[in-house]
Amino acid sequence: MSVRGTHVPEHLRLPIAGVTPPPTEKDGQRLFPTGNFRFFRPVYKDKTPPCNHACPTGEQIQKYLDYVKHDRYLDGYLTILEDNPMPSVTGRVCYHPCETACNRAAHDEPIGIRGVERFLGDFGLNLTENPIKKELPALNGKTVAIVGSGPGGLACAYHLRRRGYASVIFEALDKPGGMLRAGIPAWHLPEEILDKEIAKLLDLGGIEIRCGTRIGAPGWPGLDELERDYDATFLALGQDVGRRLDAEGAQARGVIGAMEFLRETGLGRPARIGRSVLVVGGGNTASDAARSAIRLGGGDATIVSLEAEGELLIQPEDLAQARDEGVGFRPNSSVVRVLTDGEGNVSGAVIAQARLAKDDSGAVRPQITEGTETEVACDAILVAIGQVQVLDWLPETATERGLVRADEYGRIPHGEGTIFVGGDVMRGPSMVVDALGDGKRAARDIDRVLCSRQLEPDPPAEVMPYEKLNTAYFRHAPRTEAPLTPAPARRTSQVTEVTLSYGREQARAEADRCMSCGVCNGCDNCYIVCPDVSVMRDARENGHYSIRTHYCKGCLVCVQECPTGCLEKVPEMDFDEPDAVVRMETAFAPYDGAHAEQAPFTRALIEEAIAEYDASRSNSNSIHPNGRGTS
Amino acid sequence: MHHELTVWSRGIIMDKEARDVSTCIATAARKLGYHAENVSDYVDDPDRTNCLVRRYARFADEPILDRFVYENPHPDWVVLVEETIIKAVNFLRGTPDGQGVLVINSARDPEYLLKFLPPHMLAKLDKLVVVDATGLAEQRGSSPWMFVRDLSELAFDRMSTEGAVERLAIGMGIAAPLIGALVAATGDLPVDAVAEVVADRDAMIRGAKQHTVLTPAREA
Repeated sequence: MSVRGTHVPEHLRLPIAGVTPPPTEKDGQRLFPTGNFRFFRPVYKDKTPPCNHACPTGEQIQKYLDYVKHDRYLDGYLTILEDNPMPSVTGRVCYHPCETACNRAAHDEPIGIRGVERFLGDFGLNLTENPIKKELPALNGKTVAIVGSGPGGLACAYHLRRRGYASVIFEALDKPGGMLRAGIPAWHLPEEILDKEIAKLLDLGGIEIRCGTRIGAPGWPGLDELERDYDATFLALGQDVGRRLDAEGAQARGVIGAMEFLRETGLGRPARIGRSVLVVGGGNTASDAARSAIRLGGGDATIVSLEAEGELLIQPEDLAQARDEGVGFRPNSSVVRVLTDGEGNVSGAVIAQARLAKDDSGAVRPQITEGTETEVACDAILVAIGQVQVLDWLPETATERGLVRADEYGRIPHGEGTIFVGGDVMRGPSMVVDALGDGKRAARDIDRVLCSRQLEPDPPAEVMPYEKLNTAYFRHAPRTEAPLTPAPARRTSQVTEVTLSYGREQARAEADRCMSCGVCNGCDNCYIVCPDVSVMRDARENGHYSIRTHYCKGCLVCVQECPTGCLEKVPEMDFDEPDAVVRMETAFAPYDGAHAEQAPFTRALIEEAIAEYDASRSNSNSIHPNGRGTS
Repeated sequence: MHHELTVWSRGIIMDKEARDVSTCIATAARKLGYHAENVSDYVDDPDRTNCLVRRYARFADEPILDRFVYENPHPDWVVLVEETIIKAVNFLRGTPDGQGVLVINSARDPEYLLKFLPPHMLAKLDKLVVVDATGLAEQRGSSPWMFVRDLSELAFDRMSTEGAVERLAIGMGIAAPLIGALVAATGDLPVDAVAEVVADRDAMIRGAKQHTVLTPAREA
C-alpha cells in the first residue's frame, strides 16, 4: 500500500478520500452499505390519475397525453384504443368527466383532454390501415348477440373482438350508431366521422350489424331466441322514446318529441317545425334540439325549463354556444297548455312560472305559480323531458321503473347469467362514454363467464389528489380552448361542425400541461436530486427507475421532489424478505474504536479497493512519471 | 452487579431520545449509590441524518476501572429508539449469550420483529421488550418540537440537535416510555427511583406498565 511517505498504522488504514472509490465507481456503494441509515424506503408506486378514474372507459389519459407530448401519436392512439374504440366520436361528443376531475383545475385550468383525444382519434381515422388489426387474436368460435348498435353495443363488440369473440349486433334503425346517429346532431358529430369509426370496427372482422331488426318486436327474435342461438347476450338498447308532455292540448300537431326530432333529422328526414320553436326541458337534449331547430327553421328557439338559470343540466360549453347561436331561455317556467289553430296545429303555448320539485320517489313534479300564465306564439313544441324504452318484451323480473335491472356486474336476473346489460337502458339517461364503459366491462365479464372464470369487482383505485403533487414544478399555463366555427356561420347549417380540432401544436401544448398525477413520466427528477447516487435507471422511462437499497440512506429528497407523487415512502419494516435486510456488523465509524471493527466482507472490500487504487497509480506513474496516466 | 446499556438511534432526528435514555439510567443509578458512567457521544457520526448513533451508560456496584473504553464491550441492555435498527446492525455484538435485554420502540407485533433476528443474535437474547413509546409519549396535547409522534414527519425533519444546548428537560417524549419499559423489564433499578430523574414521569410510568416481553430463547 502506498501512503506517500507517511506511516499510517495498520488500524488506521481506513477508507479516506483518494483511496476510497466514490459511490459512483465500482463497489463504491458496497463499501459503505449505508442502506441501514434508512427507515423509510422510497418506492415507485403509480397511482390512478383522477382523469383516468373519472373516465367510465378507464382511458389511460396520462399515458396518451405523454405520448402526444413526445410526438408519438400512433402510440397515443393505440393507448386510447385499449379502452375506447372510437376516440374520434368521444373526442367530439363526450361530456369529458376527465376534464371535470382534472387536478389541473385546482392549479389553473383543466387540460383540454377531449380536444387531444379528438386529435388522436382523427389521426387514427386517417391511417390507411387499422394498426390493431394485425394484433387481434383469431376468432374462437363463440358469438355474442348484442342488441343495439349505439356506443354501448359497438364498444362491447369491439372489446369482444379483441378477446377473440365474434358478435352480431341487432339494430332497429336503418343505419347503425344508435343515439350517436339518431340523438346527436351532425354539427356535434359529423355523419362521416361516425361512419368511418363504425367502418373501422367492421373492418376488424367478426362483427356483423343487422340493421332494421327490432329485437322483441312481433316477428323478430326475443330474449329466449337470443339466449338459445348465441353464447351470451349484451343488451344496449338505449332509451330513444321521448316522454310525452303532460299538458292540456299536448296532442296537437306540432308537439314533437325532441328525441324523435333529432332522430329524424339525423336520418335525413327532418320534421316540419316552422320558424319559431319552444323546447321544453332543461338538459342537453333540449339544448341540442333547440340548436338544431334554429338551423332547420332559420328562426328562433326558446328553451322552457323548470330549472332555474343556474340549475340547467346543459354542459357549460354547450350552454355558452347555444346562447351565442341565439337560443332563448325561459327558466323556472312550464308549459301548462298548448294552443292550436283551427286545424289542430300548434299555434302557441301558455307558459306559467314554475319551479322544479320532486316527490318522495324522486319523480319530477312541477310546482306552478297560479296567476302567472302568459301566452307565447310558436310553430312547434319540442319535448325534451326525458326518455324511456319499450321493455315489455323482457321478463318482468328484469325490469324496474322503465329500466333494466342488473346485478353489480351488469347481469340481468334471468337465465343462466349470460345476459348482460349496459348504457342508458340500465342507468337512465347518461353519457356516451358511460355506455362505452359499460360495453367494455360487459365484454370483459362475458369473456370471464364464457371461460368459466369468477366475476370480480374492479380493485379499489388509489386516486391521486392535487394536494399530493409537488406543484412547485408546474408553471401556470393557460388552457388552449378548442376553436369554434363563428356563430353566424354555424347557425345556418346542420352539418357545419361547431367545435373544431386542435392543430398539432395546440394538442402538444395541451398535453404538455399534464401533471401526470401519481404516475411516473420519466422526468428524471429523482435521478438528478438524489444526493447519494442511489437512483438507478437504464432508460428514461416509467418502470426503469429503481433504488439502490443497499446504499440509499432514506433521506427522502427524491420523494419530496417527485413532481407527480408516484414516489412514496414506505416504512422499511414493511419489507421483510431476506434481501431487504442490510445489516452491518456495527455502526459506520470513521475511527476504528475497540468495538467498531468492520465486518470481514466490508474490510475485504476496503483492502481490495486500496489494492486496485495502488495498482492503477503505479501503472500510470510508470508511463507518465510527471503526471496522471491515461490508463 | 454490572450492566452495560447501549442505546441505538439515528443521527440528528432521534439523537436526543437516545441521549436521554442513557443519561437518565446513569443518573438514577448514581443516585441509587452505584458506580455509573454515561457517554453521550463517541465514535459515531451524530451530524448525519439517520446515521446509526449510539449512547452508552453502565453502572456497577464495583468501581468501573476501564474508564477509557467508551464503547460498551459487552452490552447486556440494548435499546433501539427506532424499530428499523433491528434490521440494520448487529446491536448484540459482544452481548453475553442468553443475557441480552432488547427494548424496541415499535407498535408492531413482537413476533414480526423477531423474524428479523438471525440465529446468532437470537442466541444472545434473554428478553425482547416491545413498547410503543411513540404512541405512549405525549399523551398530553401538542408535543414540543422534536418530539412529534409521527415518525414520518421526523424523517423529513432537517433540523439538527448537534451542538444545541439542552433546551428541554431530560427524559421527555419517546425517551420516557422507553426508560420505563427498560427499567420495568430488567428489574434491577426501582421504577420509582428512576422516575424521579425522568422529566415526563407519567409517560415513563406508562412505558413501565404497557409493554410486551417475549423470552424467545426460554420458550424455544
